[in-house]
Amino acid sequence: MQETLQTLVGGLSLGAVYALVAMGFSLVYRTMGLVNFAHADIAMIGAYAASTFYLTYKLPFAVAMVVAIAVTAAIGLVIERVLRPLENKDFDLMLIGTIGFGIVLQAVAILIWGTTGRAVRSPVPAAPLDVFGVRVRTYDLLVMAVAALAVLGLAWFLARTKRGAAMQAVAMDHEAATAVGINVGRSNALAFSIGAGLAALAGGLVGPMLYVDASLGGALGIKGFAAAMLGGFGSVPGAVVGGLAIGVLDSYAAGHFQGYSVLVTFLVFTAAIMIRPMGVFGERTVSRA
Amino acid sequence: MTRSSTPRPRTGTRTTARAVVCTASALAVALTACSAPGESDDDTKASSGPIKVAVVNAQSGQLSSLGDWEYKGAKLAVDEWNEKGGVDGRKIQLKLFDDQGDPTTGTNIARRLVSDKYVAMIGTAESAVTIAMGPVLQQAKIPNITSGQSDGLVALKSPYLFLNGPTSTTYDSTLAQHLVKDKGYEKIAMITNNGSFGKGEHDAFLKAVKDLGVTPSTDQVVTTDQKEFSAALTKIRSTKPQVIFIGSEEVEAGLIVKQARDLGITAPFAGAAPQGTPVFIDTAGKAAVEGTIVSSPYLSNDVSDASKKFAAAYQDAYGKEAELHGAKAYDGANILLTALKTSNGASGQELADAIRDTRYKGLLGDFRYDESGVGITRTTIGVIRDGELVPQQ
Repeated sequence: MQETLQTLVGGLSLGAVYALVAMGFSLVYRTMGLVNFAHADIAMIGAYAASTFYLTYKLPFAVAMVVAIAVTAAIGLVIERVLRPLENKDFDLMLIGTIGFGIVLQAVAILIWGTTGRAVRSPVPAAPLDVFGVRVRTYDLLVMAVAALAVLGLAWFLARTKRGAAMQAVAMDHEAATAVGINVGRSNALAFSIGAGLAALAGGLVGPMLYVDASLGGALGIKGFAAAMLGGFGSVPGAVVGGLAIGVLDSYAAGHFQGYSVLVTFLVFTAAIMIRPMGVFGERTVSRA
Repeated sequence: MTRSSTPRPRTGTRTTARAVVCTASALAVALTACSAPGESDDDTKASSGPIKVAVVNAQSGQLSSLGDWEYKGAKLAVDEWNEKGGVDGRKIQLKLFDDQGDPTTGTNIARRLVSDKYVAMIGTAESAVTIAMGPVLQQAKIPNITSGQSDGLVALKSPYLFLNGPTSTTYDSTLAQHLVKDKGYEKIAMITNNGSFGKGEHDAFLKAVKDLGVTPSTDQVVTTDQKEFSAALTKIRSTKPQVIFIGSEEVEAGLIVKQARDLGITAPFAGAAPQGTPVFIDTAGKAAVEGTIVSSPYLSNDVSDASKKFAAAYQDAYGKEAELHGAKAYDGANILLTALKTSNGASGQELADAIRDTRYKGLLGDFRYDESGVGITRTTIGVIRDGELVPQQ
């Protein structure tokens, strides 16, 4: 019992991070119908930026995170700007463009920070809590709280603000949106920069849990992408459910199948996608390809 | 919308296309090189111009820090020889190839080494990559001094493959002896990964402790890209071990130790080379690794005059502190260069024989190669105290 609960707690903390990554994937997909393959590498840049401001420039962790989010949001704007001429013209080239950007970002990271990564010390020094024999790291609680806030914030933005509503309108029918005076380019740019900011949030938060190096994107990207698929690509609640599900599934698979855990995780994932191709909260309306 | 210039994405596709063409032509060149057997035998003594030696190691990806250390160590040795005039008045030309820690990339590089007529290869630090490259290099008779330590390297039985350090069996039988005989531990838990290094460590350590009559309290296997170890560590905790053997690379081992401490596991960890590195210590945190027992042929830069001299030269050249992997590659490069000197710049079979005959007193110990390509069969036990690896008292 204790082992089961401990495994659950461990899975949930990384699951919260996967949920954040999945949310960024989903937001860009929702507004542009585009999978941003550079997303995971933006998260890696975010992790590096946050760790640099936190460890090298000695900023408080929260401030370092905000700066990192600003940096990646700017990168998101640049990517959108470069891809914009292709919008509605060559969709495949846009996809390949995002893959290219991912490779460029990895190379840039190695140029700036070198090949050796860095370990980030936890900003919460408090000892783990002991709840009936199950140890809960205080930093994990912080991560889950921040992720929850980000989810609520994004949901509120999409549902309650004018810009959010405009983004939803663009997602449904960008020609009609243009006709009523919505600037589609600006809406896409906003989606890209918020998505990139979410990536930095995920990367920055995961830094003290893992180890920051140029390959971090690979570790987060595949699970984050799977989480987005499982929840239903384009859905915010889906991203949360998918992220937590992948995190927990991964954790239990590791316990029961040891060396074969990755295989088992993705077999279960594949089966789930076969039963429900659109994912748990998936809808089929968003497709601008 | 009117702008039609699309610089970035197109560059992307063009580079991919070019890469495809390059790979294809490289393959073609390699194939022609292979189809002319004996070609490399003909010029066993090209006696003018620089001697071409390749360093193959990961410069990107998760194993890049390993590759970086290895390259620095090998380059230091080569620079020292070149300063003294090289081998027989010929300079040594060192070129670095990035294998990304990936066996497939490594195999492609091996073909390139053949077609570009490299005399010898230093690296890689990854046993799986070295094993993948082995057959190509053996066929072309290019001696390879690897930093890998897997027993799978020995199983390859290539007369052109030499290790610059001990094998996993040496590391782990020394460690098992220490834990069981010296410390009297009976409850030993194991956690290893299923990669080539981790699997080698798993098998070697398990055999070593079983030979001493101890069965591990639990034997947990994780994957190489796993980041979260609650399940395995909770099981380990429930068996209340006196010590935990860890067989995985630097970063993952660091994460395991960090998470173990968070779960309230206080038993010390024990392991081989990766557990003595700064990356392991940084990842886990200084407090978490206190008391870790490490089996290594090179514990610190202060053990001998030779290691002090090496560490000072390393510091001068790179502004960084030397460590085991740099020292291994430095020894390996020196052995190769000594063999080149004694054989008057030979290559192929002759060079391999010269390496096998080389008796070298290195930083890791006294090298004497046997038929299997292993030159050193001893490690010493160290302990991490205050974030530094120090010899066991």
